[in-house]
Amino acid sequence: MAERRFTHSIRVDVAKCIGCVACMKVCPTKAIRVRQKKAIISYDRCIDCGGCLRVCPYNAIMPLTTQLADLDRFKFKIALPSPVLYTQFGQEVMPNEVLTILKEIGFDHVYDEALVCEMINVATEEYLDENKRLRPMISSMCPVVVRLIQRLFPSLCGNILPIEPPREIAAKNLRAEVCKQHNLNSEQVGIIHITPCSAKMVSINHPESMAKSHLDGAISIREVYNKIMMKLKKETGMLMMQTQNRISGIGIGWAIEGGEIRGLKYTSSVSVSGLLDTIRILEDVESGRLKNIEYLECLICPDGCIGGPLTVENRFVAKSNALRLMRHFGGKKRVNSALVKRLYSENFFSFKWAVEPKSFPPLDKDRNVAIQKLKDKEILIQRLPGTDCGVCGAPDCRTLAEDIVRGEARLEDCIYYNEIVQKNRKITGDKNETRRSR
Amino acid sequence: MMMNKSDVQSEVLFQQEFAIRGGDFVNAGESSCKIRNTLREIGIDSDVIRRIAIAAYEAEMNVVMYAENGVMSISVYREEILLTIDDKGPGIEDIDLAMQPGYSTATEEMREMGFGAGMGLPNMKKNADRFKIMSELGKGTRLEIRILLDDKNG
Repeated sequence: MAERRFTHSIRVDVAKCIGCVACMKVCPTKAIRVRQKKAIISYDRCIDCGGCLRVCPYNAIMPLTTQLADLDRFKFKIALPSPVLYTQFGQEVMPNEVLTILKEIGFDHVYDEALVCEMINVATEEYLDENKRLRPMISSMCPVVVRLIQRLFPSLCGNILPIEPPREIAAKNLRAEVCKQHNLNSEQVGIIHITPCSAKMVSINHPESMAKSHLDGAISIREVYNKIMMKLKKETGMLMMQTQNRISGIGIGWAIEGGEIRGLKYTSSVSVSGLLDTIRILEDVESGRLKNIEYLECLICPDGCIGGPLTVENRFVAKSNALRLMRHFGGKKRVNSALVKRLYSENFFSFKWAVEPKSFPPLDKDRNVAIQKLKDKEILIQRLPGTDCGVCGAPDCRTLAEDIVRGEARLEDCIYYNEIVQKNRKITGDKNETRRSR
Repeated sequence: MMMNKSDVQSEVLFQQEFAIRGGDFVNAGESSCKIRNTLREIGIDSDVIRRIAIAAYEAEMNVVMYAENGVMSISVYREEILLTIDDKGPGIEDIDLAMQPGYSTATEEMREMGFGAGMGLPNMKKNADRFKIMSELGKGTRLEIRILLDDKNG
């Protein structure tokens, strides 16, 4: 496979960034440095988790998602919202109202992915039944988890369930249907995900398991929120049932951690959400500690997609809304299992190719040099104060030490180190004393 | 411990040691995690890292479960990685029996905690290119796990 570029959905707005260390401190892959009072993201390391986006006090981290204005190039526009969208507008608002308004603000068609979620459950069970060699299999629904595994847990790439997420399968199906129905060719149809995170944009622009995504873009929930809210306020009560979508409690459940495994027959499944807990459980998987677990659902955002960085409602209220909707619509399955099994056997849901490892580069390409650099790094760590203040522009002392041995920073970047050097100079009067001090 | 002639090899490029405390379930797994990170930094192939991580974790758990204390050491050579675990503990009475999948001397409590499936030693052996086990009753056990490196980065 030719090299495909690993591009990203997050940018620093240098006009707004003042070089505080908030984003750098939370980055799980240590992809951010502060240089000349500006945050710089290393796109070789970024996995698009959106952690920086959440914490930036100056709104200087921008998600790069599709804008409504970008849709003009399509003749027929379809919105494919994440079920998270239904949880954003308070207790009284029903999914059908949200879908109806969504259609009014600029789409020709809206589609609810609930039924596809049920289909994916059946396909997952088929896969797990047929392939028992490797356990646990890990859900591929969250694009950040896929990238986290490629980067930090490359040996687990084979554990990623090779089945596309509901948004992709729904789009694949829709495009074929709509083209036929309206006599359009494929490029005239724009299928847009309404997303709680910017990471979906990366999986659309640069999918890891196929050449081209079935989706044409992703608009953030934040971007459509005001428009939907305004219309909801104006037109209460007049919007019922203008779409043919049949909402299901199961589909809405996918917005919350555990939604995916709830629909599986396998009882030894585990769901995890949040960045740190996901990293922790993947470490356990890598140690071979969780082989008795069949299936692992990991979602990077806290509590699942409802905790996405591009949502509006706080996630606790959103969760309450989701649970209420799930009770209202019930958990009755509507999926035609026989049909799904046939489609599964035709590889309708499958990855085109396996997700490949993309490990971080070692300290050096030459192993002997890398080992020398590792030793140098350990010595440097002893010299640094260990307070992880971040003033040097690296997130912590260990990372500064690593940057130094990689030739990307200097020991003098550490203000504590400089202080000690100054003091020693005063005491000894020795201007060359820089190396031996601690 | 004396080295056999066949064990004498090229100069050790890198070595790290970790103390493991028997009965310390809370911190169990930390050493294998550190080993994994170290090997990544020096560019060891991810499949090799996975095998070492599994062997190291199983070995670490064995010390935690059965021994008073132990030392795990990882040594990187040009052509292989050597993982050794020396513990002060009860020793293994019948090594052949202990190597059989499913055989375990774990207590009921350990089994309830999900340990003691009798797969520890077989798993280490499965992931190793060469596996050696030496034990003296009442004194302790030494494990040597070797995984060969293909030489492209050496």
